[in-house]
Amino acid sequence: MGLLAQLARGLVRGADRMSPFTSKRGPRSHNKGRGAKKLGVLTSSKKFLLVKEMVPQFVVPDLAGFKLKPYVSYRAPEGSEPPLTAKLLFSEVVAPRIEKDVKEGAFDPNDLQKYGFEPTQEGKLFQLFPKNYVR
Amino acid sequence: MRVSALLGLAARTKLPSGYRHGTWRPGTGPEQRKNPPGQRRNKVFVEPVGRDEWKVFCGDTVQVLAGKDAGKQALVTQVVRARNWVVVEGLNTHYRYINRLAKFSGTYIASEAPLLLSQVALVDPEDRKPTEVQWRYTEEGERVRVSLRTGRIIPLPLRQRRDGVVPEQWIDGPKDTSVEDALEKTYLPSLRTFEEEIMDAAGIVETRRARKSYWY
Repeated sequence: MGLLAQLARGLVRGADRMSPFTSKRGPRSHNKGRGAKKLGVLTSSKKFLLVKEMVPQFVVPDLAGFKLKPYVSYRAPEGSEPPLTAKLLFSEVVAPRIEKDVKEGAFDPNDLQKYGFEPTQEGKLFQLFPKNYVR
Repeated sequence: MRVSALLGLAARTKLPSGYRHGTWRPGTGPEQRKNPPGQRRNKVFVEPVGRDEWKVFCGDTVQVLAGKDAGKQALVTQVVRARNWVVVEGLNTHYRYINRLAKFSGTYIASEAPLLLSQVALVDPEDRKPTEVQWRYTEEGERVRVSLRTGRIIPLPLRQRRDGVVPEQWIDGPKDTSVEDALEKTYLPSLRTFEEEIMDAAGIVETRRARKSYWY
């Protein structure tokens, strides 16, 4: 059996060179982080200024009377809902309103804002394109 | 973040090329001792049987056609498709010692050897005789096994879960969502994004806007 096969057999001939060199390895002077984001700015006098807006805050709703639990019973049948597409959303939310207005005769093609049409994403906190929120 | 990426990749481990399948499940202790990484064994030639052409499953009654116990019928306990193997309960056995210790010679048990697919035949449920079987479709469109000699349908054996849970007899624990709660449809489609809805519900008002930035 060749050298490569013997190495693969049980790492007999030395340390594992391919494993990542994390902060858990190396001497005391080896100090590296694990990829956490910096929540502020480092000034010229090497002082770190925390930016409070960058600190994530959890918005947790009150879960009193919430019926869903961590696990689902085995008796529940398998299946899924149809995926929500833009077409489905439009047909469920906007289309009934437009139909009602057309039947009453109050439909105005120049005023689509009342059905949820947004001509620009400027000025919005959560812009859809380019998407500036995580979820 | 790199750690989680590695964990995600390790979830579906691929067997090495030229892997020799045994009766043990890959990942267990005995299997890892028998097939260490980096082992290369002579290739085992196997008659190719397509994925849809496989007819014998765990829990089926089969009759052994060749070997020491030819002519006997028993249940199938294990199937290894990679080698066309079928392990039948109590048949084609040889004897070995198990749980051997330094002083104690071990328990003498009968262990079944696997049989090839060609040495085994499915048994017609009413006739109780071996038959050739074909996959065919019923009028409803269901795919079933039909015995060629008699024309009767051989039903598929009940598939048991590996953790032993029988869904119909399951009793919900304190952390289990009940079936009605899980199937209840409470989603109301709206044009607001998730974050905007939460802000409305919590009464958070944000008038500041992010500074415009550009990337290329």
